[in-house]
Amino acid sequence: MELLQAVVNGLLIGGVYAVISIGLTLVFGVMSIVNFAQAEFLMIGMYVGYYGWLRFGLDPILGAPIAFGIAFVIGVLIQRFLIERVIHAPDVAQIFLTVGLLIVLENLALVLFGSEFKSVRTGYQTSALSVGGLIIGVPYLFAFAVSGVVGILLWAFLRFTWIGQAMRATAQNGVAALSLGINIRRVRQVAFGLGVGLTALGGSVILPYYTASPTSGGQFVVLMFTVVVLGGLGSVLGAVFGGLAVGVIQSVSTLVMPIQLQNLALFVVFIAMLAVRPQGLLASR
Amino acid sequence: MKLARLAPLAPLAALLAALLVLPWLLPEQGYVLRVACLVLLFAAMSQAWNIAAGLSGQLSLGHAGFFGAGAYTSTLLLIHFGLSPWLGLVAAGLVGAALAALISLPTMKLKGHYFALATLAFGEAMRVIANSWGSLTGGPVGISVPFVEPGFALMQFQSLRPYFYIMLAALLVTCVVFHRIRTSALGLRLRALKNHADAAASLGVDTAAAKLVASTISGGLIAMLGVLYAQFQFFFDPDTAFSLAGISIRIALIAIIGGVGTVAGPLIGAVLILPIEEATNAYLSSHAAGLSQIVFGAILIAVVILQPRGLLHLWKPRRR
Repeated sequence: MELLQAVVNGLLIGGVYAVISIGLTLVFGVMSIVNFAQAEFLMIGMYVGYYGWLRFGLDPILGAPIAFGIAFVIGVLIQRFLIERVIHAPDVAQIFLTVGLLIVLENLALVLFGSEFKSVRTGYQTSALSVGGLIIGVPYLFAFAVSGVVGILLWAFLRFTWIGQAMRATAQNGVAALSLGINIRRVRQVAFGLGVGLTALGGSVILPYYTASPTSGGQFVVLMFTVVVLGGLGSVLGAVFGGLAVGVIQSVSTLVMPIQLQNLALFVVFIAMLAVRPQGLLASR
Repeated sequence: MKLARLAPLAPLAALLAALLVLPWLLPEQGYVLRVACLVLLFAAMSQAWNIAAGLSGQLSLGHAGFFGAGAYTSTLLLIHFGLSPWLGLVAAGLVGAALAALISLPTMKLKGHYFALATLAFGEAMRVIANSWGSLTGGPVGISVPFVEPGFALMQFQSLRPYFYIMLAALLVTCVVFHRIRTSALGLRLRALKNHADAAASLGVDTAAAKLVASTISGGLIAMLGVLYAQFQFFFDPDTAFSLAGISIRIALIAIIGGVGTVAGPLIGAVLILPIEEATNAYLSSHAAGLSQIVFGAILIAVVILQPRGLLHLWKPRRR
């Protein structure tokens, strides 16, 4: 029963992990860039959710679309003026450009918002449902539900809209997409904006059970990479699977080891995954 | 050795002579000499990173893992067994080399982004372990090097001058090691595998062994530098000794700014970066914490966009 409870908790949290990590995998798929600064957008989303609640009394879940919008704009600008310039540069430039962004964004938040932890109060924060002996926290359930809706919307976007199809085409073969008249610079901008927007959206959604601080993003860096590497870097469906798997691993690991070591379990899984199957668990080869 | 080969060493000898005199021109407990010590230390750390990253192209983001392990190894040996940090250097070197060899096994085959990610996770894992294993490390509150009668035996001095010379010696050692490896057969193998791993392997280069040796030396050296850091700072905690931004990224940035894979790169980078950081800290931190880090990140972004091969290439655009 304890195990089942841990698995359920893990799945609920994992749904959000999937959404915040999809952006990372989407950007890699479209332009083969690993964005080390991705987790900082989670932090940005948290602050948007927090200030929306503080100033306008907006529930962080309703603030989530605003977080998405703001991060989308920032993302497009970053892609347009920074990332685009290293698309064909050596690894060292690509890696350290986004590492530099990580440092700038984290410290910008420190300067603008201060180092104190900020959290919201909602009516449902401490409520829980009891289903057949299992306890399900309402904020976790809400966050999971939003993640599910967002996942479906994203799927529809990639499947049915022109720009979504162009994005998938670019991911499959950039040169071919270009020759078919797709503006792949535009596609890359939308992909990057969408990617960081989804992560920011996730940041706002988890605010009812999390605290915002300038280092909130940094705590998710390895977690997000574990999610996408488990599912296969570049695979959106893989990120969903990876997110759920990481949620469960984290949650179940607390049954056998102290909670501070929760992330250590993740690091070990991550390094082992990279060593054994860097292409992801779902990949056919 | 022929005179013609020695000629290019003349400016180096002059530089070295200037460095030997420098501490006597500055107040022995002054701020400037302190920054100068840090410049030398970070140049050495960056050079140690350069051995693995610059020569074989494996861009590590986890060298803080070895560095912190070295700092803790010597300090714990000093606290519990009264072992001199000079012997602690040896122990730390062995621990660092062993860790580097161990982490190389699963990460050796990874390239580019994947290698950076795996090493990042390693560094962070070491930080988490140091924070949670309180009974050994003292946990998040940190650890102090016990104060003793100042003297050479326990590597503790009141004046900054001895530290300056120790850091200078450490920098010279790392530079010589880097240079020797680069010009050796191992260096050629590393360059071959950096440029084209598959081609190198098909020509009979044991790429795995070459990478393993380079990263083991690199990890051992930076762990030894962790000992110097501990003796210099007297106090550290897991979040500073195993810091991602403060150690792993910073030493990479220093090498990148100067020029990855060159002997002079880390030196140029350290001379530029650390004083800039110190200055922004001194002038800006009174206004807001974090501003100097923004400057640090912005420099990193600017350099990789403008000249990803480092400043060295600005005035030497066509090497060979």
